[in-house]
Amino acid sequence: MDFDLSDDQRDAAAGARAFFTGSVSTAAARAALEGTGAPAPGRKALADIGFLGITVPESAGGAGGSVLDLAVVAEQAGAVLAAPSLVTAARAAVLLESAPDLAAQLADGSTALAVLDGPVTGSAPSIDAADATLFLGLDGGTLVAGEGEVVPGRPLDATRGLASVRLTSRRVLAEDAGELWARARAVGAVALAAEDLGAADRAVQLGVAYAKEREAFGRLIGSYQAVKHMLVDAWVGVEQLRSLVWWAAWAADASPAELPLAAAAAKAYAAEAFERAAETLVQVHGGIGFTWEHDAHLYWRRAKVDRLLLGDAGEHHDAVARLALAGALG
Amino acid sequence: MDFDDTPDEAAYRARVRATLEEHDAELLHVRPGESADARLREAELRTTQRVLAEAGLVGVTWPREYGGQGGTLVQQAIVVQELARARVPTLINHIGLGMCGPTVIAHGSDDQRARYLTRLLRADDVWCQLFSEPASGSDLAALRTSAVRDGEDWVVNGQKVWTTLAHVADFGILLTRTDPAKPKHAGLTMFVVDMHAPGVTVRPLRQMTGGADFNEVFFDDVRIPDAERLGEPGEGWRVALTTLMNERVAIGGAGSDIGQSAEALAAHARDRLPALGADQQALARQAVGRALVAALASRYTGYRRFTALSKGGVPGPEASAGKLGGTAAARLVSDAGVRLLGDEAVLGATADGDETWQRAQAHVPGIAIAGGTDQVLRNILGERVLGLPPEPRTDKTAPFAR
Repeated sequence: MDFDLSDDQRDAAAGARAFFTGSVSTAAARAALEGTGAPAPGRKALADIGFLGITVPESAGGAGGSVLDLAVVAEQAGAVLAAPSLVTAARAAVLLESAPDLAAQLADGSTALAVLDGPVTGSAPSIDAADATLFLGLDGGTLVAGEGEVVPGRPLDATRGLASVRLTSRRVLAEDAGELWARARAVGAVALAAEDLGAADRAVQLGVAYAKEREAFGRLIGSYQAVKHMLVDAWVGVEQLRSLVWWAAWAADASPAELPLAAAAAKAYAAEAFERAAETLVQVHGGIGFTWEHDAHLYWRRAKVDRLLLGDAGEHHDAVARLALAGALG
Repeated sequence: MDFDDTPDEAAYRARVRATLEEHDAELLHVRPGESADARLREAELRTTQRVLAEAGLVGVTWPREYGGQGGTLVQQAIVVQELARARVPTLINHIGLGMCGPTVIAHGSDDQRARYLTRLLRADDVWCQLFSEPASGSDLAALRTSAVRDGEDWVVNGQKVWTTLAHVADFGILLTRTDPAKPKHAGLTMFVVDMHAPGVTVRPLRQMTGGADFNEVFFDDVRIPDAERLGEPGEGWRVALTTLMNERVAIGGAGSDIGQSAEALAAHARDRLPALGADQQALARQAVGRALVAALASRYTGYRRFTALSKGGVPGPEASAGKLGGTAAARLVSDAGVRLLGDEAVLGATADGDETWQRAQAHVPGIAIAGGTDQVLRNILGERVLGLPPEPRTDKTAPFAR
């Protein structure tokens, strides 16, 4: 057994970390929330470094990489609350397997794509839809692409680009696309769990760092078991989430039959592990963690939104149970 | 990334599997997730270990010069997996193999190694570990059992508790206080004690599960020859750390489940879910799904540790996270299992006499305490992995007998 990243994937993660920390700061997330700036690094920068085409075939101008290759990059994107999301890139790449022209436009960033959840006549708030010009949706059992009317709503986390969309034009990409759609949604859930992994990991790091410098009652607060144990529980959650994300991302390419179970497990765990990490981050900081100017709430906002996107923990727990009852554990 | 064995691992696994098949009739078997009560099945358990030892499947990681196989931690993990697959219960001498033996190897004399280790591997002698006391559990170094030098012997008085297997044990490693004037960690000395010596009294302790797997052990003027000392006088804490390091290897887990498995819960849910009302089914499915996710998270995290071991890594303090996560999963799995029983969940057994899930539920509090409480594990992880400062401790420097 070798359940670990390859050297190439570790190098890719290090490269992605350098890119994201160099091109994104939490100031961008705050500015987007205040309506005074755009989310960073933006679609063009992500396309230029090749991150939007990681899983797009080489023949369509992508890197032809695996979902695991994408997940290690998505983790680094999540750590700095980057936007747009690699969830969109991962999910659209699956949906556009038979539409190489559109896949190429996804990879090179020339078209702003979003994938719609819910009915195309009025979608649920969908990731990256606020700035998109072309939308992919499931109309009955048919995969369609089209333009649409965008209603953003007031953002809770402005880095997600959430908007509801009503399609105003439709072009059929594939009939009987139910299975394709489900697989794309599962891959999207894995990418979302990977972004949550990075964000949760960062939230724990920030909490630990503060517990090592803040004093109360004559000593560092990290020495108190009440604080220490909270941080440890959040950290254990992050490490367990990492294991599920790797497994699910691996399954997407290497063992598709396991993907529904693994993706549901990863997304369900991500929802709760990230939420715990973000709430711990606020709590460990005390009053300062509750202020607008502190970054803690930026992670908290992402956690509160992400836990509900692409199915909440309850939906995925139910899916895991149903799949296991049907024999998915072997 | 690859979940298959390497060619070497696959070859080793095939050899282990073939050996187990060859000796199948000589081995004790249990149902999945069950253990065998040493009180009731001591003879069969001893025979099972002897057969396995003669087949080269015991002491896999021990050096060859002490009767071991000189193998790797991965090979050890493969043997554990294959024993579980063949439904062979935990070896009776698991405490001796995982903790006492390695301590004798590290700190014993040549004479002690020659006398004890081969017999331990074959379960000719069963061993126990005499550490915890009524007044020192998590705070092990606060122990009070005294050993006083008298000629060529030491005279031991005191009481140990929670001693697994003491009721069937022939020998134990015994941590005592030999110098109360020193600070608590500095006045300790470790011995090998003959559990059949005059003055040793073993009394079973009944657990909240109803079973009695562990004991309290009394020492009344028990004489131990100085030649049975492990390490120098006053070095007992350092010797005990060897034991506890090996315990971490033994229970850190490398992808094996603590308690009932995810598969067992899924099978149970298939069996019992249809009998519940529609609303109850929806709620029970939530509990089952949550438990399965926790169990899978713990299992795949174990696979990462297994991978690290196979690349030559040494288990560090992060292995404590394995037990913490495994315990949390075991709690959810047993709870979901009980909920699936519907109205029978409030009874000690189902109408057909099955108590699998009630027993699993009652075991969980013990899992969260034994081998490091959840709270001690969080301290270890917080301080040694996350680098958070320890709590101030005045007891580390003051003389014990103050």
